[in-house]
Order: sequence, then C-alpha cells, then structure tokens
Amino acid sequence: MSISYRDVGDNLRHIVVKARLDLPGTDSVASKLVELSAAPKKGVVVDLLSVSFLASIGIRALLTSAKAVQERGGRMVLLVDGSSSVLMSLKATGVNELIPVFQDAAAAEKAALA
Amino acid sequence: MSPFEELAVGARGTEARRASEWLEAACLRRNVPRAQVERLSLCLHEALANIIAHGGGAARAAPVRLLLEVRFDSGGGSATVTVSDAGAAFDPVSVPERTPPKTLGEAASGGLGLAMIRRCADWLGYRHESGCNHFTFGARWSLP
Repeated sequence: MSISYRDVGDNLRHIVVKARLDLPGTDSVASKLVELSAAPKKGVVVDLLSVSFLASIGIRALLTSAKAVQERGGRMVLLVDGSSSVLMSLKATGVNELIPVFQDAAAAEKAALA
Repeated sequence: MSPFEELAVGARGTEARRASEWLEAACLRRNVPRAQVERLSLCLHEALANIIAHGGGAARAAPVRLLLEVRFDSGGGSATVTVSDAGAAFDPVSVPERTPPKTLGEAASGGLGLAMIRRCADWLGYRHESGCNHFTFGARWSLP
C-alpha cells in the first residue's frame, strides 16, 4: 500500500495510489489522499493505474477529495486502466459521470488543467 | 470438484479482504470467467461492508457464513454466493434504488455499495430465516 505524488509545474499535482482500495486498504491511504489533494493546485490527477480493486469506501474517499478540489476552484480527474475492475466500480456507481476518467496520462493532466 | 465451497469470516474489514480473496480463488479453481469473478468479489465485499457498518453487535459476535455454488450447463454457467449473518434484519433487495446524482455537489457518500451490488450482480435474493439474514447474489455467463 502506498500513496505518492509529484508536482508538475505550479498548477498540477499527480497523485499515485498503489493499493487495494477495499476496507483495510482505503483506511490506510484515505487521509493522505485528502491531505495531498488539498494542496493549492489548479488541477489534481489521481492515478489509479496500480489499483486492482475499488470498493465503495474507496469511491467515497475519491468523492471527498474531488469535492474539496472543486470547492477551491480546481478540478480533479482520475487515471485508470480501462481493462481493470476499477472502471467497472466507477461505472456501477455512476461516479465516472461526476469525476472525469481518463486512460491516458497526458490527456488526464491536460483535462485537470482545463 | 464439488460445486460448493464454504468459508466463515468475522465481521471486520480485514476479514472482508480475506473473503474476497477466498472467493476469487474458489471461483477461478472452478473456471468461472475472470469478469464474473471480479463482479462477484465486489458484491461480496460490499455485502460484508454493509454487515460491518449496520449489522450491530449481533453481527460482530457470530461468524458470517459464505457459500459459493458454481454450476455449468450446455450453454454456460452460473456462480451464486450466499452471505449469512446474525445481525439486524436487513433486506437489501427491498431498498429503493437511489437516483444517481447529476453533480459532484449532489453526490452523497451513502448507498454506493448497494448501487454497486445491483449493477454488478445478475440476480439478487434475500430471506430472513432462523434469526439470520441470507443474502444471495450471482453472475452467469455463456460459453463462447
């Protein structure tokens, strides 16, 4: 389980989550995700390419972060592997309609800054 | 190989992970396709998360029993999971479906698990019997 980030210029933060986002996995990264996405950046990309399982508790953590970013005038987007069950979880809950989802890193970063 | 496999777990987060991993392995041993395994694993995790969150002390005091049944016929197969717990009576099938939020601001944190179960399962069932909830969900597939 890990969560890390890199800042791309002054306006973009790219957060990488490597965890199984089930009950114990989300417990271990949720507060850090909120903390990292609270940085005063215009755009935030949450990279879920290495996430193999996304349960509703993980989706709640993503929603909390996305709302916080939006409330300060920014935009959060998700980067996912289209062949993983993560995309299925997002579609099953309709969250893909609320937080933009991309399968290409460059497109995700561009959208987060749009 | 028997079409059935059982496991008992505690109503705790770490046990929910153990249950998902058990289900994935048991399904793959029986040649359930990966896509159906992933759907069932999510359903099981959300069912256990509901028990942990809402089942109360009775749910936490007794093991949650899991039963997997995999069947094949000439056209394909089906996998059914039954989750039995001694917690507060709760029929997830009868809960009205929520209206999906249109904006991020409208998005509520509750109800996501049940929405996920409804979308990922091909069928759902519930009965309350001998003081226990018995929640069933399943997935089917066609042979190529």
